[in-house]
Amino acid sequence: MPIMEHKSMAWRMSVNERKFIETALASDLRVDGRRPFDYRRLNIKFGREDGCSEVQLGETHVMAYVTSELVQPYRDRPNEGILAIFTDFSPMADPSFEAGRPGESAIELGRVIDRGLRESRAVDMESLCVVAGKLVWSIQVDLHIIDNGGNLVDAANVAALAALLTFQRPECTVGGDNGQDIIIHDPKVVEPLPLVIHHLPISVTFAFYNKGDIMVIDPTHKEESVMGGKMTATINSNGDVCAIQKAGGEGVMPSVVMQCIRIASVKAADITSKLKNAVEVYNTERALRKVKRHPSKMAHQVSVADITLEDKQVKDLPRHQAKMACQPYIGSSQDDEPKVDTRTSTNADGNSSGTHADAFVGGPSKWDPYPLRVGTSQVLGTLTVVKEEQVVSDDHRAVECSLDHTTTSSSGTVSVSDAMQKSNTSKSLKDAVKCLLEFFLPVTMDFWMTSVATEYWHFAVVKVIVLCAIRCLCQWLPSKLMKAL
Amino acid sequence: MNSMPSDSASMSFVDRVVVPGDHVLDLTGMANQTIKLGAGLRQDGDAISVMKAGKLRISKPNKYWVESSHKRYVPCVEDTVLGIVVDSKFDNFLVDIKAPMLGLLPVLAFEGGTRRNIPKFEIGTLLYVRVVKANNTMNPELSCMDETGKAAEFGPLKDGYMFETSTGLARMLLSSPPCPILESLGKSLSYEIAIGLNGRVWVNAASPSTVILVSNAIMNSEFLSAAQQKIMVEKLMKRLQ
Repeated sequence: MPIMEHKSMAWRMSVNERKFIETALASDLRVDGRRPFDYRRLNIKFGREDGCSEVQLGETHVMAYVTSELVQPYRDRPNEGILAIFTDFSPMADPSFEAGRPGESAIELGRVIDRGLRESRAVDMESLCVVAGKLVWSIQVDLHIIDNGGNLVDAANVAALAALLTFQRPECTVGGDNGQDIIIHDPKVVEPLPLVIHHLPISVTFAFYNKGDIMVIDPTHKEESVMGGKMTATINSNGDVCAIQKAGGEGVMPSVVMQCIRIASVKAADITSKLKNAVEVYNTERALRKVKRHPSKMAHQVSVADITLEDKQVKDLPRHQAKMACQPYIGSSQDDEPKVDTRTSTNADGNSSGTHADAFVGGPSKWDPYPLRVGTSQVLGTLTVVKEEQVVSDDHRAVECSLDHTTTSSSGTVSVSDAMQKSNTSKSLKDAVKCLLEFFLPVTMDFWMTSVATEYWHFAVVKVIVLCAIRCLCQWLPSKLMKAL
Repeated sequence: MNSMPSDSASMSFVDRVVVPGDHVLDLTGMANQTIKLGAGLRQDGDAISVMKAGKLRISKPNKYWVESSHKRYVPCVEDTVLGIVVDSKFDNFLVDIKAPMLGLLPVLAFEGGTRRNIPKFEIGTLLYVRVVKANNTMNPELSCMDETGKAAEFGPLKDGYMFETSTGLARMLLSSPPCPILESLGKSLSYEIAIGLNGRVWVNAASPSTVILVSNAIMNSEFLSAAQQKIMVEKLMKRLQ
């Protein structure tokens, strides 16, 4: 019967290595040639989906995934979202990791990262609330350890932060027939929202040797087997201490702990800048990915818009909308509201949109969703039934979504209406118009009400009438001028 | 006449990449010759076939084997390896040699070894040993003596630092003429080194900084050509001064 190895003794360290590491550290030398307070090379990569990151710290390799779902909140926190961290110590990372239940070090790692994020309120929980007491977003961070080269806590922390920074959750609104339904908007239709992250808590791990006299940063796997004690300090770039973890090991003097925290704050600033750079590169690349998907059909469709807008009937409007591959954009939503009121179709805005279409190069410019006027009689259909599959081509949506983007609610409705408008169904255009109307009316009603309340109502009336008159004039005049000429 | 095609056939496979299933040698015309088969080769009736993917090597006059580079070690007879003592039993030391099974080192397998002077190895001792028996069904058997019974540098290694590499790098370091990295390091530094075919390398020098330098230089030289290795060592030396 052959003698098999016992599983827990799969990796052994020789006496020579142990002694050598300690003697080298006594002369401030580390086995891989680093100085005692040097980090290994940090490499942050992202996957194709949002919220997926891969971090390599020297030989240590960690991946993080962030997912979200709607759940009921905890009873004692009815208007806060939920953040959960799950660690998976894969047996391929280290011979001592076993599949199945997480071991002690796995639980400790998850707990340290969770404390850094939750107690310091790095991730804003209240913005994850949808309906207080009933529905909130639950964000789950999955950390997978691919290779254990030492210092898993730091690598996993950076991976979790990178994934949270690039994660985007779907937009959801309260609406529906009875105004009570929660509608989750398809990320392809409505731009998803990033998480609100106030600051970045970075964890820095120290290993102690020789009864606490010698300390090094970012220990490798071999250094970790020889160390006497370990301490992790989680600090953000503002210098706030978010968490400290020293579980067992040799005792150290309080002065040593303070020195470690000071060193950690310097290192944290460095790592924060690296993380932010990597996230920025990824975000620009993601935005470019959406813009780039415009093939050359842009060019001739713009000229088509010029020609076909001239003498068309209003009822042909949806077909034209579909033909116009790209429209110039307006940065704000204020211009939209006046146009909704008028009922005649004119050439003016059509021409202006045509000329602006030539200037479209992929950057934000004048945007006009309704170059032709639509009559309110044509507005049919219900509001934002956004969950259905849109037949819209990715190109149009992507361009609008990426270029015209402010985080106010007005642009939220505007982007919804954009998406609507560009679809091939006529119903959606009317939906969009209706939703703009619905937005505009409450605003004026509020204005009206407050004015009445403050007894300046007559000013409000006059202002509204004047505004309407100006808009009508703006539409009629050019057409009249054209006819005169 | 029959031997000619088989010779040329085997010659055509030598130093080339072979995969499992290739027949590299035909024995029909070699009735009076003895051929030694090393790792990765098997006798299939009248032909020698390959069991492991790698490069076919020949050592004159008649030894053939397949060479490949892995992080794990498959024990082969007559290999010299570095092992770490895991446990000591009544008549064997259990030694880890990076193989699927623990190696057994008989307590009497030392020069002048008797029941009275059994060496005492604590757990974690690094040993330079030779593989005596290797079979994929049994634990490999080791020895601290050469065939004639002399100690011949086998035994425990004191101090120094050990690191692990792939088996390919270990073979490259053991090649003769000496590997360029070891030569150029030896020109400016003095160190001693023990290389195990299981991928373990032990380095010792007077100062820890020399040991660290040598070990990192060797680890980084695995995929460099000879000229690149020399350039790397020169740069390291310049940086030291």
